[in-house]
Amino acid sequence: MIRRAAISREAIVGLTLVGVYLAYTAVFWAYPFFWLAKLSVTQWRFFDDPVFVGARNLVRIVQDPQFLGSLWNVVRFLAFYLPLAFGGSLLVAFGLQQVGRGRAFVALCFLLSNVSSGVALSLVFLKIFSTTGPLNNTLYDAVGIRIPWTNHPTLAMLAIALVVAWKFVGYYGLIVYSGLLTVPKELYDAARLDHAGVWRRLVNITLPMLNPQLMMVLTFAILVSFGLFTEPFLITGGGPADSTVPPQMVIYETAFRRLQPSHAATMSIIISLASYLLVVLARRLFERKVVIA
Amino acid sequence: MIARRDLLRLGAAAALLAGCAPTKSERRDDRIRLWVAPNAAEESFWKIAVARWNAAGRGLPVSFTTIPTAGNSEDTVLSALVAGTEPDLSTNIFSGFAVQLATLGQVEDLAAMPGYADLIARRHMAAIMPGWTQNGRVPAMPIYSSPTLLWWRADILEANGLGAPPETYEQVYAFSDRYGAGRRARYGMQVIAGRAWQDRWFDFIPFYYAASGGRPYLDATRALYANAAGLQVATFMNRMFRQGWTALDFDAEEPLVSGLAAGAVRGPWDVERFANIYPETLARIAVGPMVAATPSSGPAATFSDSKGVVIFRSSRVKRQAFDFLSWVLGDEALNLLWLQQTGLSPARADLLENSRFAPYYRRSALGRAYAEHVASARPPALSEYTIDVQKIMSSQLIEPVMTGQRAPAAALRDAVAATDRMLEAQA
Repeated sequence: MIRRAAISREAIVGLTLVGVYLAYTAVFWAYPFFWLAKLSVTQWRFFDDPVFVGARNLVRIVQDPQFLGSLWNVVRFLAFYLPLAFGGSLLVAFGLQQVGRGRAFVALCFLLSNVSSGVALSLVFLKIFSTTGPLNNTLYDAVGIRIPWTNHPTLAMLAIALVVAWKFVGYYGLIVYSGLLTVPKELYDAARLDHAGVWRRLVNITLPMLNPQLMMVLTFAILVSFGLFTEPFLITGGGPADSTVPPQMVIYETAFRRLQPSHAATMSIIISLASYLLVVLARRLFERKVVIA
Repeated sequence: MIARRDLLRLGAAAALLAGCAPTKSERRDDRIRLWVAPNAAEESFWKIAVARWNAAGRGLPVSFTTIPTAGNSEDTVLSALVAGTEPDLSTNIFSGFAVQLATLGQVEDLAAMPGYADLIARRHMAAIMPGWTQNGRVPAMPIYSSPTLLWWRADILEANGLGAPPETYEQVYAFSDRYGAGRRARYGMQVIAGRAWQDRWFDFIPFYYAASGGRPYLDATRALYANAAGLQVATFMNRMFRQGWTALDFDAEEPLVSGLAAGAVRGPWDVERFANIYPETLARIAVGPMVAATPSSGPAATFSDSKGVVIFRSSRVKRQAFDFLSWVLGDEALNLLWLQQTGLSPARADLLENSRFAPYYRRSALGRAYAEHVASARPPALSEYTIDVQKIMSSQLIEPVMTGQRAPAAALRDAVAATDRMLEAQA
C-alpha cells in the first residue's frame, strides 16, 4: 500500500512512455555507439573475438591515403556545393516571393526533387553527363567539343555537386523563404527613404536578417557533404583516380569489401568528429544573433 | 481471474521476451540447408534438382531458399555468418570472396573432401580448377563459368568490309578508322567498361588474359602484368583513345543498339537481357574473341565471371552437403538442365564434345561461342585484396591512359609499383 502511494499513477504512465523511448535509444543508439567505440580500439574481423589494440587503428587510418583523400574530397565538394546551395536557395526564395497564385504548388514542386530517389536521379544524371549523352551530343553538334563531365577529376566533382544541389536546393530555398517572410517590411521602407539601392538592401538588410536560415542551410550542406554516398557511388564510382570518393564509400568498402570493420569504425568516428567540428567552426565564424530592436 | 490489464501486461512481457530470444539458429543435422542466387532462372533449376535429390532419398534431405538479400549477396552472407544464421551451403560466391572467407576460416577446403578428385574427373574440371585453387586449397567449387567475349554488330562489320569479328588490334584499328570517319560520332568499340573497380574484370583483365595466353596478373605478393602482354593492352587502349576510336564512357545508352559503338565486351548473362529488351539487335550480334596483338590458335583466353558454391565451416553436415554438391555438379542431366534454365555454361571443359550438350549448342550460336571459351577462360586473381588491386589498376593505369596523362609504359609501371607497395604494406 505504501509503495503504491509512493509512485503515483501519473508517474507510472510517464515512466512507461519514457521507458519506450529509453529502450529504443538503448537498443538503436547506445548499443551501436558503444560497440562502435569498442571496435575502434580493437582488432575484429567479424568472426573472431575483438583484441584490444589501443590507438593502432587510429594511427593506421590517419596514414591511409585513400581515407585522407576522401576527407580532402569533402572540402572539394563543399567548394562547389556551397555556392550552388546558397545561390540556388536564395534564387528559389526570391522567386517564390514573386509568385502570386499557386505558391504552395510551386513550393511543393521544389520539395519533389528533395524526396525523389537518389538512385533514380543519379541514373538520370549519369546519362545526361555521359560523354555520349544528350548534353555532350548537343555541344558536339554545335561546336564540336565534348565535356568529360564524369571523367575529369574537377568536372566529376562539379557534376556530383550539381546533382546533389538539384536535390536539395528547393528544400533549402523553402527554409530561406520562411526567413524572408519574417523580415519586417518597415526596414525596407526605411532603407528606400534613405535612398538605399537594391544591392545595398540585399547586403545590409536581407542577408543579415536571413542569418539564422543561411546558417541552417550551411549546417545542412556540411552534413550532406560528409554523408554523401549514393551519387558518387552511382555516377562516378569514386573515380577518376579516387577524386570523388566520399568518406562514406571508403567506410563501406573497408567494412564490407576489405572486411576490416575495426578500421571502418575508427573512420566513422573521425568523420563524425570532423563534421561536428566543421559545424562548430562555421557557427563560430558566421552565426550572428538577429535582434529587431 | 485474470483481469484484462493483466493480460495486456502478460502479452507485453511475452513480446519483449520473444524479442530477446537468441538470434543464432540451432545447427541442425537432419537436413542440408542451401542458399541459392536470388534470380528466377537459378531458383527454378534448384527447385527441380532439390526435388529430385529428396525424392531419390540419396542422403540427407535438402531445403533451399534464395539468398535473403535486397542488394548484394556478399553482404548478406557476411551478415548471416556474423549472426550465425548461415546455411550449410551457399551458391553465388565469387572466387575472391571465397578466398576472403577462407582466410577468415569460415569455409571448408573442398579439396579435402572425400570424392573431390572423382568429381573433378567426372565433371571434366581439371583445366578449370587451378583458377579456384590457392595453396592447394579449394574454398569454393565453380558452378558455372561465364567467359567475357566481344560482341560485334555483324551488319556494321559487313558494311565496313569485315566478314567476321576482328581478332587482332590491327583489325580493330582499321575497322574503327573506317567506321568512325565522318561527322556523326561513332566509335569502333567500347574499350573501357566503366569507372568502378569491378569494371576491370570487363576491360583490362580479359584483354590481358587474351594477350598473355591466360597468364595470371597477380600472385600473393606482387602484380604480374608489367610485361609485354600488359604493355600491348595498355598501348591498344591508348591508341583507341588517342585516335578517338572509343569514347570515355557509354553511360547514356546501350552502344550496340544504336551502333554508337560496333563492338563491346559482353557476357552470356547479356544474351537474356538483349533477348528481352533488344531482340532485333541480338539477331545482328556476332561474337568474337577478346582481341590481341596476334590471333590465338585455339579459343583465346579471357576472363571468366564465375560463381561457385561454398560449404560453411559451421555446418554439422559437411560430408553430406558435399555428397549433395557432388551429385548436383557431377550429374550431366542436371548440368544440361542448368544450361537450359539459366543459359550459363556449367564450369566443365567438355561442353562441346559431350553429346548430351550438343543439341543445346546446335540451337544456340551465342551459347556455343561462350561454351568454346569455358576451358580457356580464367577467373579473377585469388586475392583478398581484389578491391585495392583493381582500384590501383583503375587510377594508375586505365584512367591516365584514357585521358592521355601518362604514356602506356609509364602508367603500367606506376600501377604495378603501387600494387606491389600496397601488397607489401598489407603483408
